[in-house]
Amino acid sequence: MSKDVFSPKERLLRVLNKQEVERQPVICPGGMMNSAIVDIMNKTGHVLPEAHHTPELMSALARDVNEYTGFENFGVPFCMTVEAEVLGSDINFGTLRCEPKIQKEAFDAVSQVEFKPLGSMEKSSRVGSVVQSIYMLSRKYPDIPAIGSITGPLSTAASIVDPMPFLKQLRKDKENAHKVIDYVTDHLLEYAQLMIDNGASVISIADPTATGEILGPKMFEEYAVKYLNKLVDGIHSMGVPAIIHICGKMEAVKPLVAQLHGDALSVDAFVNLKNIKENYNDVTTMGNLSTIMLEQSDTESIRKRAEMLIHDNINILAPACGLSTTTPLENISAFTETVKLQ
Amino acid sequence: MLEQEMYKELADAVVEMDDDLVVELSEKAIEEGMDAFELIDKGLTKGMERAGQLFEEEEYFVPELLMCADSMNAGVDILKPHIKASESTEHHKVLIGVIEGDTHDIGKNLVKLMLETSGFEVIDAGRDVPPQVLVDKAKETGAEIICISTLMTTTMEGMEEVIHILDKENIRDKFKVMVGGGPISKGFADRIGADGYSQNAASAVKLAQELVGIA
Repeated sequence: MSKDVFSPKERLLRVLNKQEVERQPVICPGGMMNSAIVDIMNKTGHVLPEAHHTPELMSALARDVNEYTGFENFGVPFCMTVEAEVLGSDINFGTLRCEPKIQKEAFDAVSQVEFKPLGSMEKSSRVGSVVQSIYMLSRKYPDIPAIGSITGPLSTAASIVDPMPFLKQLRKDKENAHKVIDYVTDHLLEYAQLMIDNGASVISIADPTATGEILGPKMFEEYAVKYLNKLVDGIHSMGVPAIIHICGKMEAVKPLVAQLHGDALSVDAFVNLKNIKENYNDVTTMGNLSTIMLEQSDTESIRKRAEMLIHDNINILAPACGLSTTTPLENISAFTETVKLQ
Repeated sequence: MLEQEMYKELADAVVEMDDDLVVELSEKAIEEGMDAFELIDKGLTKGMERAGQLFEEEEYFVPELLMCADSMNAGVDILKPHIKASESTEHHKVLIGVIEGDTHDIGKNLVKLMLETSGFEVIDAGRDVPPQVLVDKAKETGAEIICISTLMTTTMEGMEEVIHILDKENIRDKFKVMVGGGPISKGFADRIGADGYSQNAASAVKLAQELVGIA
C-alpha cells in the first residue's frame, strides 16, 4: 500500500477524468449500493434506522464504513427513499438490518401526479441530514471523496407512482410519463446541487427501474437514456463527475450504453465488463464483484474474483449491486485489500 | 365469422395490446352466440400465451406484457358472465407473496398475472410479508402452492423460514413451495428444500402446472 501515489480522492477523480493512476480505486458509492452492514453497526453503535435521520449519526456511520471495509470513499445516504419522500410517498424506515422502502407510492397514475414546486428538496429535513453529513465528512477528511448517491429519474418516478400502472403508462400515456420523469429529474438536479455545494466530489446515480430487462431497448432509449443524460449533463455543468449504475442483464440495451453521458458505468454481476470495455473503449467501467458472492462465499474466492477484475482492467472496483446487510465484514475486507495490495 | 377465426382474432388483439378491439370482438362473439368459455380458453388465453412467449424471446418487455394482460382482462370481463356453470372448471389455488423486507413486487405481479391468465386462482398476499403470515394465509385459503419471490439477497432466508414453519407445523406435504426472484437460483431453491424454482414469469406457469400435475 506504500506504493500509493494519489490520495483516494485524487485517484477516483483522475479515473473518472480518464487520467492515468497507479492502481484502481475500490469504492462503494452509497444509496442502493451501501455497505452499512450489521457487523459494523454492532461494533460501533452508530446504527440504522436512526442514522437515516441525523447528520451526525449518518456521518459517523459513513466514516465507520469507510474505516472498517476499506472502501476508499464516503457514500451517503444509506437508502433510495429520500427523493420519493420529498415528492410525496410514504416511507418505511426499516430496521437495523433491513433497508428503508417505499411503503406506499403517492400516486396511482402519471396523470395524477401533483407537482411540487422547485425548492422542495432544500426544505426536507432528510435532504438536510444527507447534505450536512456530506459537508462534515468532506471538511474533516479532504482526501477521501464524499459521494452523493441519488436515485435515478425512472426509479424515483416509479417510487412516487405505483410501478405497475407506471410501466404501462410509459407506453399508454407518454405525454404525462415524460412530464413526470422530467419533473422528477429537475428535483434530482436540485438535490445534486445541494450535495455538490456542500462538498460532494462525485454524484452516483442508481436507477434500478431503468433496466433493459424491464423496459426493453425502445423504452430504455426513450426514457432512461434521455433523463439519465439530462441529469448527468446538469451535474457536469456543476463541475462534478457522475457515475451511473444500471441493474440487471444488459443484452437488450448494450449498444445504448455508449450513449449514456456518465463518467463511469457500473453494472450487475452477470454483465461481462471486459466485453463492454472491448466493444466501447471510451466507457469507463465500474464493478462488479457479485454481492451474492460477497455475502455467501469465502475470502479466498473473493480474492480470486477481485484479481480477475483487476486483471481485466476494470477501471473502478466496486460491488455489483446492493449489498446484503448480513454480508460478513471479512469478505468485504478481502475484496478491498486485494485491490490495494496489487 | 367462424369460431376458429374469432379465436385467432381475439388472440391477435391481445398480442397487439388492442383493448378496444378485444372488447368489440368479445361483444360480437357473444351476440353471435359463441361459447364464452371457449372464447377465453382458445382465444384470449392463447393470445396471452403468445405474449408470454414474446416476453421470453425478449421481443416484449414488462410494459408490453402488462398491456397484453389488460387487453385480455378487458375481454374476460365481458365473457365471464356468459360462462355456463357446468363449464367453469376447478381452479388450482396459488398463494403468492414477496417475502418480508422487500417491497419490490414487479416480478411477483408478473408471475401472478401469468398464472391468472393460465387459469390459476391466485391469492395475493402482497409485498413485505412475514413468513408466518404467508403460511397462515396458505392454510386459510387452501392454496396448493405457496409461491414466494424476493429481489433482495437480504430477504432470502425468509424463504427458508417459510419451509421451516411448514416443517414445524407438520404440514410441509400439504403445500408445494416455489421460489423465484433476482438473487434466487436453482441451487438455492434446492438447498432450502423448495419444490421448484423458476427464472421468469413465463416459466413459473409451467412449473406451477407441473407441481399440481396438469402440465
